[in-house]
Amino acid sequence: MKDKAAVSKLQVFFKSNQVGMALLISALLFALTVLLNPKSLNQIAIGSILSLTSMLLIASAGQTLVIISDGIDMSVGSTMSMTALITVAIMQGDGGMDRLFLSILAAIGVGLTVGFFNGVGTVKAGLPPMVVTLYISNIVGRLQYVFTGGTPEYTSVPKWFNQLVTTRQFGFFPHIVLLAVLFFVVVFFILSRTRYGQQLTLTGNNNRAAYLNGIRTSRIKMLNYTIAGVLAGLAGVIGAANSGYIQCGTYDAMSMQSIVAVVIGGTLLSGGKGSFTGTTAGALLFTILNNGLAVLQVSDSIRNLIMGIVLILLLAAYNRSKPVRQ
Amino acid sequence: MREAFKKIQKSPAYSGLILFLAALLLYFALQFIQEPGAFFTIRTYRSFAGLFKNYAPLILVTMGQALLMLMGIIDISIGMQLSFANVLAVMLPEWTGMPIAAAWALTLCASVLLNTVNGLIVSYMRIPPLLAGYAMIYIVKGINLAIRSAPGGKVPAEINLFYDKMWGGVLPTSVIILTLCYLGWAFLARTPLMRHVYAVGGSERNAFATGIDSARTKVKMYALAGLLTGIGGLCYTAAYSTGNPITGEIYGLQSISACILGGISLAGGWGTMSCALFGIGFQVLIQTAVPRIFSMLPGNYNTYWHNLASDAIILIGLIGTIFAVRAQRTTLVAGLKKQIKGGGAKDER
Repeated sequence: MKDKAAVSKLQVFFKSNQVGMALLISALLFALTVLLNPKSLNQIAIGSILSLTSMLLIASAGQTLVIISDGIDMSVGSTMSMTALITVAIMQGDGGMDRLFLSILAAIGVGLTVGFFNGVGTVKAGLPPMVVTLYISNIVGRLQYVFTGGTPEYTSVPKWFNQLVTTRQFGFFPHIVLLAVLFFVVVFFILSRTRYGQQLTLTGNNNRAAYLNGIRTSRIKMLNYTIAGVLAGLAGVIGAANSGYIQCGTYDAMSMQSIVAVVIGGTLLSGGKGSFTGTTAGALLFTILNNGLAVLQVSDSIRNLIMGIVLILLLAAYNRSKPVRQ
Repeated sequence: MREAFKKIQKSPAYSGLILFLAALLLYFALQFIQEPGAFFTIRTYRSFAGLFKNYAPLILVTMGQALLMLMGIIDISIGMQLSFANVLAVMLPEWTGMPIAAAWALTLCASVLLNTVNGLIVSYMRIPPLLAGYAMIYIVKGINLAIRSAPGGKVPAEINLFYDKMWGGVLPTSVIILTLCYLGWAFLARTPLMRHVYAVGGSERNAFATGIDSARTKVKMYALAGLLTGIGGLCYTAAYSTGNPITGEIYGLQSISACILGGISLAGGWGTMSCALFGIGFQVLIQTAVPRIFSMLPGNYNTYWHNLASDAIILIGLIGTIFAVRAQRTTLVAGLKKQIKGGGAKDER
């Protein structure tokens, strides 16, 4: 009798608490990595995991908002790359706080523009979000090459900015985690404590019902894409500080990676259900997986294979659509 | 005559046809402007035929993608699968010493098998196709790198010559291959399977309610797309005489945008193979024409400007097509409603 209750409790945990499961799997994967390579349990490794997770989390902030509202934003990576390039170009290797302020303003401007065009294409023109954001991402990427002629003049931020973000307290706690926490607080607040967040979730769940209930769905969605663009822009500024070397398209991979982090964390791709806590767990899981494979020093081909298979297993566990029979 | 024209206007390939003809006009106009003397010689035809030779793999990948998009599925890993066929075709003879023909037949089977597995994952495990495609890119890349970790490998010269050959001095081998594939499609379009495909693309739940096994239909189309991708991979091997494990990655995005350009709707259930062909034709012609336009403008523009310009033109084409497709679909649906409900326009309100 007691066994049955315990088993069913486990099943309930497995099925309903996706965030908890993601954290559990992260811990298991990390333990596995340490088991296979005991040398990997050191301050530097933990610091890298924290740093990469924070970077992915910051990048996925806007993506979480967009996916919850039944959209998708493939331009996160390009926007980040663009604003990272702009930050480096404005600060020119020796700028001070005033230059930093200028680059933040520029990043917000760029993010606003990209988000605006995403929103117009998706909401006003009614085009599929994937296509619009994909092509805008393409164009933003090309613009980077056109502006810099392929090789940027400046490739890294001033030392003080770099150190501000990457110094690790006690040897393993990078400052970027604090920035990630800041992002977390802001997005969490937006999603769960504001009326905007509630209306957003409702719109993503069932657009028509939300509209009939008086929610201005097009306006909310437009605003959402714009906010997502701004968040991606700011993520690029932080990315510029975090990385030692910026070139055209440094952060392009973040587009798909942020989608994966959001989705593993329990947000449905079809929108309406999800939280930023989930994205955090998803980002952690993805980073530990990626990091673990790199640390274990497997060959390129095995690394890709395992990454793909684990992704499929995770997706099969949590992201299955409803069967047609229902 | 007017009836035929009206019929073309209603077909999904209409907007794609317009775009394609415009791009064709542009291509030949540029050719004429740049080499007026040599325009009416065989060289113009040869360079145009050369396009088919180089882009046949991309065209075949687009045709495979079109099969899937008719059901509303996007497969971003299809480019990687082209590379799979490519490296397998190059490495199989090297490993086992089997004759080329047998190795290539085996490669085709492997391609079909790989994409069938992909289809099983998407339709039976019900993972969203976008994410499944992303995971498959990793898996296929892993397999490719295991087969051949760096570009290289040898392909017998006869294959390359055979592929480059112009039959009767007029028809490149690649065009024959493409025509055969298109005829295969024309045959397929008349079978019940294609009706099921359109039904599943239109509304999977409704299709299931009428007794169509949607999962099985999807897997079958994945297998067919795998066949086309395999043929594309073999064409790539013949055209470039090398095995490259990761080169196909960009083909994925290009094939998707080409299909949409031609008029296939992302939601599924609307479009034909001609849409895909017109779409990829437009894309290829624009990408070859833009550098020529830039070379005629004053000032020095590097390839980045070319890419930006062709991307911008393709984006404009995309937006135009999506609007045109939507207009076609609404008129079609309105027409159908009118026939079912009967009565005049006031019933529509």
